Amino acid sequence: MDHSPESNETPPLHSTYECDPDLRDLIVHFVDELEQRVETIRSAFLSEDMVTLQRISHQLKGAAGGYGFDSIGDSAARLEYDLLTDEAMVSDLSERVEDLINNCRAAVRPADS
Amino acid sequence: MSHDEPMRPRVLAIDDSDLVHRLLRARLRHERIDLHSVLTADEGIAAAKDLQPEVILLDIDLEDLDGFEVLARLKADPITRDIAVIFVSASNETMDRVRGLDLGAVDFVGKPFDVGELKARVRSALRMQRLVKMLAQRAQLDGLTGLWNRAYLDDRLEAETASAIRYGNPLSVVLCDLDRFKSLNDSYGHPFGDEVLERAASILGSGRSPDVACRYGGEEFALIAPGTDLKETMEVADRHRVRIAEIEWPDRPGVRISASFGVADLTCVSGTPTPEKLIAAADQALYEAKKAGRDQVVAANRQVWPRAAG
Repeated sequence: MDHSPESNETPPLHSTYECDPDLRDLIVHFVDELEQRVETIRSAFLSEDMVTLQRISHQLKGAAGGYGFDSIGDSAARLEYDLLTDEAMVSDLSERVEDLINNCRAAVRPADS
Repeated sequence: MSHDEPMRPRVLAIDDSDLVHRLLRARLRHERIDLHSVLTADEGIAAAKDLQPEVILLDIDLEDLDGFEVLARLKADPITRDIAVIFVSASNETMDRVRGLDLGAVDFVGKPFDVGELKARVRSALRMQRLVKMLAQRAQLDGLTGLWNRAYLDDRLEAETASAIRYGNPLSVVLCDLDRFKSLNDSYGHPFGDEVLERAASILGSGRSPDVACRYGGEEFALIAPGTDLKETMEVADRHRVRIAEIEWPDRPGVRISASFGVADLTCVSGTPTPEKLIAAADQALYEAKKAGRDQVVAANRQVWPRAAG
């Protein structure tokens, strides 16, 4: 299997809704909370807590797109799908988890203006 | 139930993520709705019964219970059956959509939401809900007088009787018949007869707010007075009698109309009260009022109280 490490230099990810005044504060809040979620994802993965991992990926799958971060939603969906597929081994998940974490980390708050 | 529309339609969101709740709240902020949100299927089903929302936004993949199962339960319960359910899901599977619609959902919205689409679908569901409600209500209204019709009276009296027995509250029924209506019709024609019915109905329908006024048939009306005992209902009926007798008919000088009333409450029936027994007792009293010379209110005879245990 090819386990080429993902580059950590995913370009900054802007919400497609960052200019929407109705959503601006919510997006800021969402991005700020991502840090905590990344930590939870990481520790759940390390401790093989699949229940937590699935819950978070499920939530991000359903919500991230709505905050204008489609790529986070997509990577969460892929991770959840693999988690729900019995054949997937924990080792196979690392790529998915890393992908999701990188996407979350790349998300940036809407610019102040 | 009043004829008026409630001020703001209620929308209930059932979704296991509060990220989605916040998003919906922001996205639907400018809509004229009251948005409520719950996180689990169990809370959702309870809130649907409690809140009686017009529309439910139901997440298809909830953590505690499959969204399809929630929908099936909502549709199986008469209390929640008529609520318009819009399915919300990140799944793009056609089969899921088909299954949701087949189970009785009115519509489907994909996640992530397209704002314009979400609003439009909620509005469309609300619009349809309003029309359905209006049609259902129309089917229970009397065409000429705008009062509730006989079918509604039967349903409502059944419910009120059960509730009065259960909570030990008083309940009265009034039957009202316009005096010598047939000869009015014969002398002045049916259009005038209709006018008389409408005027009498508007008096009966503008009484105290808990009272339910119905057209019982022909020139006969019924009033359900929940929470009201025989004595108080006699007074209510007499106020109606006086107002009907006072109606002026400028185009028909000299015409006076009057009505006779029979009143019964739960103490006027023997055994376990039923809607039929209440109506029969009021009808008997109405007959006595006619026999005694019309234009009066007569109470049904009281039965021995308390009733035999049972």
